[in-house]
Amino acid sequence: MEAFQKIFPAQNFSLIVVILAMPLLGAFVNGVFGKRLGKDALRLMALAALGIAFLASVLSFFMLHAEQSGEEPARFMWHGWEWMTLSRAGEASFIHAGGEPNLIHLEVSFMLDALNATMALIVTGVGFLIHLYSTTYMWDDRGFHRFFAYLNLFIFSMLVLILGGSLPILFVGWDGVGLCSYLLIGFWFDSEANARAGKKAFIVNRVGDFGLLVAMALLVRYTGALDWDGIAAGSRGLMTEIRIWDGQLFAGFLPAFITEPRSVTAATLVGLSLFLGCAGKSAQFPLYVWLPDAMAGPTPVSALIHAATMVTAGVYLVCRMAGVFTLSPAAMLVVAGAGAFTAVFAATIALVQRDIKKVLAYSTVSQLGYMFLGVGVGAFTAGFFHVITHAFFKACLFLGAGSVIHSMHARIHDTDASQDVNNMGGLKKYLPITHATFLVSVLAIAGMPLTSGFFSKDEILYSAYTRSVVSTSTGVFNWPAGTGAVLFAAGLLGAVMTAFYMFRVYFLTFHGEFKGWRIVPGWQAPPGEHGHGHAEEEEHEHGQAAHGHDGHAHPAHADAAHDHGASAHAAHSHDVHGSAPLEGPEPHESPWQMTLPLVILAALAAFGGFLNAAPLHLTPMEHWLEPLFASTVDAARLQNSDPEHGLMYALLVPGVLVFLIGGGTAYFFYIMKGGAPARMLAERTPGLYQILLDKWRVDELYDELVVGSLEALAEASVWVDRWVVDGIIARLTALLVTVWGHLLRLFQTGHAQAYAAVMVVGLFGLGWFVAVPQPKAVVSEVGSTGEYAVEAAPGLGYAYRWDVDGDGNFDNEDFGPTSQVRIKLDEGATRDVGLQVRNAFGRTRAGVFHLQRPKHDAGGPAASRSNAAEPRAARLALASGRDSAQHSSAAPGRDIVKVP
Amino acid sequence: MSGLSDNVGNYVILASLIFTIGGAGFLVRRNVLVQLMSIELMLNSVNLLLVAFNRAHADNMVGQMFAFFIIAVAAAEVAVGLAIILSYYRLKSSVFTDEADIMRH
Repeated sequence: MEAFQKIFPAQNFSLIVVILAMPLLGAFVNGVFGKRLGKDALRLMALAALGIAFLASVLSFFMLHAEQSGEEPARFMWHGWEWMTLSRAGEASFIHAGGEPNLIHLEVSFMLDALNATMALIVTGVGFLIHLYSTTYMWDDRGFHRFFAYLNLFIFSMLVLILGGSLPILFVGWDGVGLCSYLLIGFWFDSEANARAGKKAFIVNRVGDFGLLVAMALLVRYTGALDWDGIAAGSRGLMTEIRIWDGQLFAGFLPAFITEPRSVTAATLVGLSLFLGCAGKSAQFPLYVWLPDAMAGPTPVSALIHAATMVTAGVYLVCRMAGVFTLSPAAMLVVAGAGAFTAVFAATIALVQRDIKKVLAYSTVSQLGYMFLGVGVGAFTAGFFHVITHAFFKACLFLGAGSVIHSMHARIHDTDASQDVNNMGGLKKYLPITHATFLVSVLAIAGMPLTSGFFSKDEILYSAYTRSVVSTSTGVFNWPAGTGAVLFAAGLLGAVMTAFYMFRVYFLTFHGEFKGWRIVPGWQAPPGEHGHGHAEEEEHEHGQAAHGHDGHAHPAHADAAHDHGASAHAAHSHDVHGSAPLEGPEPHESPWQMTLPLVILAALAAFGGFLNAAPLHLTPMEHWLEPLFASTVDAARLQNSDPEHGLMYALLVPGVLVFLIGGGTAYFFYIMKGGAPARMLAERTPGLYQILLDKWRVDELYDELVVGSLEALAEASVWVDRWVVDGIIARLTALLVTVWGHLLRLFQTGHAQAYAAVMVVGLFGLGWFVAVPQPKAVVSEVGSTGEYAVEAAPGLGYAYRWDVDGDGNFDNEDFGPTSQVRIKLDEGATRDVGLQVRNAFGRTRAGVFHLQRPKHDAGGPAASRSNAAEPRAARLALASGRDSAQHSSAAPGRDIVKVP
Repeated sequence: MSGLSDNVGNYVILASLIFTIGGAGFLVRRNVLVQLMSIELMLNSVNLLLVAFNRAHADNMVGQMFAFFIIAVAAAEVAVGLAIILSYYRLKSSVFTDEADIMRH
């Protein structure tokens, strides 16, 4: 061990690089060189990459264990390089995690501590088993190399997510797993339904990512850091109150309850935004809708991504940010409440689903709800433990379902039909190993005592009843009394439904009569019909379009066009419910590469519970994770109403009871009565049955609301474009021009005489100006001393005669050439200046100009304004017969020049 | 001689009358030859005015010179105008200008 500790020191733990680099290398090699390398080499590469990563994780785990001593949580760091530096300019940073106050360094660094070492073991370990499984499952697929490239890339992204040393790195991994999820769900992208499912997953995830980004921005603002240490150091800043509701709107009209200004701590906002991200990634209500659709991907993908690893990233995030979350009881209540609600909600849908993978999908959503319930009440270890046990039994269930579907594909190739439990039954005779492992996992998830699921789920239920998160300051929202009881009741309800539907699936699949086809021993596929070999590469034509083939993707299938003629259809009958009963061979067990992972996972599901069996006082995992949570979470905020664990045994009883009730009811319904009570219930309550089958029509609701509103927006935009932009701006202006043109066109008569007549009219107008004298003048102010200049307009042969002193008589007898006179006025004085003009024809006309100099007020804004206005030259151009426009200045009546 | 400067007003009135008659004739009559003659009338009225004023203010010969120019220009213009009329007649077999409205809108 010392040798290892010398090679990999704690502060420069390059084993992390090994863990990360191997899957990345595998993804690169498989992706780029996959086609050339051949399937065997690809398989070796993918498995080796995961295997080495797993061994490195194991080694890291033991090294960490050796390092761990006392209360301080051990941690291995690996610093990579600096990514970028954010600067907060302009404002005083009141919180900063050491160093420069206004700089935030984002660096690429990874770290390993108790929490993510455990998680890395799960990711690489379960990942390795699923890789092994899929080497056989996907062997015949055309995209074999692409599958393993994506799968390795997924493992890499997941490891980046959990090993990241700061939120931005986690976010890179977060988005990476989202991308890989999209790629893998839509793996058989020829089918539009699969592509749509992949898009849906990515887009719904994006809504959650928005929450995560908002949370990062808030953390930068209020804690000044984005790495785990920095956030912890700066968490004081998260207690800042932020006003979210001003309450001044309609203050007089609405009750005080609404208008009261409300504020929350920054921690609450961060917690809620982070939970939005978790809801997207971990499929909680309302962002769970992508997970059932994600079953369109290959079953190993569902097992790995949508059961064991990616969907647990949200729970991991809550555990990692436990210090931040616990600062806000409100956010924790939302987490726990949403988890409890989702647990019950998804369980109701799973009760009636027919597709085996859909049942498991809703079961996953439900169990994730349990995990959030656990971490939401402050029992982080319990919630995380459920992540681990869920990984075991859910992966086993999914892989088992894949094994069943694989055997159904011997004869039924249609995706929906081969996964419908009503077409199965009695498979325990033919698939013994699958049956045994499936049974063990069903017992685990239903919570049979001493299985892993029992210990983890009952720990969560017990914590839900006894634990809560409180605030250390007064006046902050605290959990209402009885919350624990409500959460416990919801958890119990979900548990009884879980037991029921899991046993239902188990009984319908493995017990009873096989309903898929009539088994004819030694049945051979007729020529032209596709057989069941693994290495066959026949052309396979289907009469139906859009096959998302689960497991049996045929080489030609992926690229053949989907509209086949009816002649091809006659080659084999697809009708399971056709006229002639379907005949086929015995369903067969899967090869060892598929059953070995099943066995290993089932063993873990059965015995993994002893990692944290609280009722038995055997809790190594609790002790392992204790230092970490003790250091990040303020103990004063976690309340436990039962510190002596007195209630634990008492509360175990309801847990066991619901297992018995749920399992017993399923047994009664399906084994003893052959499914009749279920059918009867469905007939008695058709509305309820239908709405459960329709998944509460949440997808349809989203379609109407979200997609519908976007479409409405698009329609509105089209309308605006057609009528406003095109209509008013383009067509109306064109119309104006056209109308004007029509009017002007009336002048174009083509008659020379008409044109000549117009010319004559113009000539007369010109003549009028020449013949009639126009007495016009411009009054302007010279300087600011009250001197005014009156300048007469020039004209042909004009001579002027002025009356400057305003007495009404003209000063001179003769008309002279003086066209400008200056007049000095006192303040407040007025003068009427007269002008008489004589033109070359001897005609005269006179005009009068009224000058007024405004009075100045002593002081006051009006005076200053008029003072300011005065120096401006008030040039008034006058037209005959019209009053000049009044200036809207403080001093009234200034510079009004009138012409009679 | 100097007596004309007092009477030049009469010539102005006469010239104006002739100009008006020519102008009205151009605007009103349909026959293109009559319109051409009206134009000649207008030009001649101006000629008359020029010569009259030249006689009234006799210090230079500008008026009469200008009248010569006008005569020459009028002659040229009539030549061209008659050519146009002839073409028009060949085209339309008519001498009425109100039928020449191809350029109307």
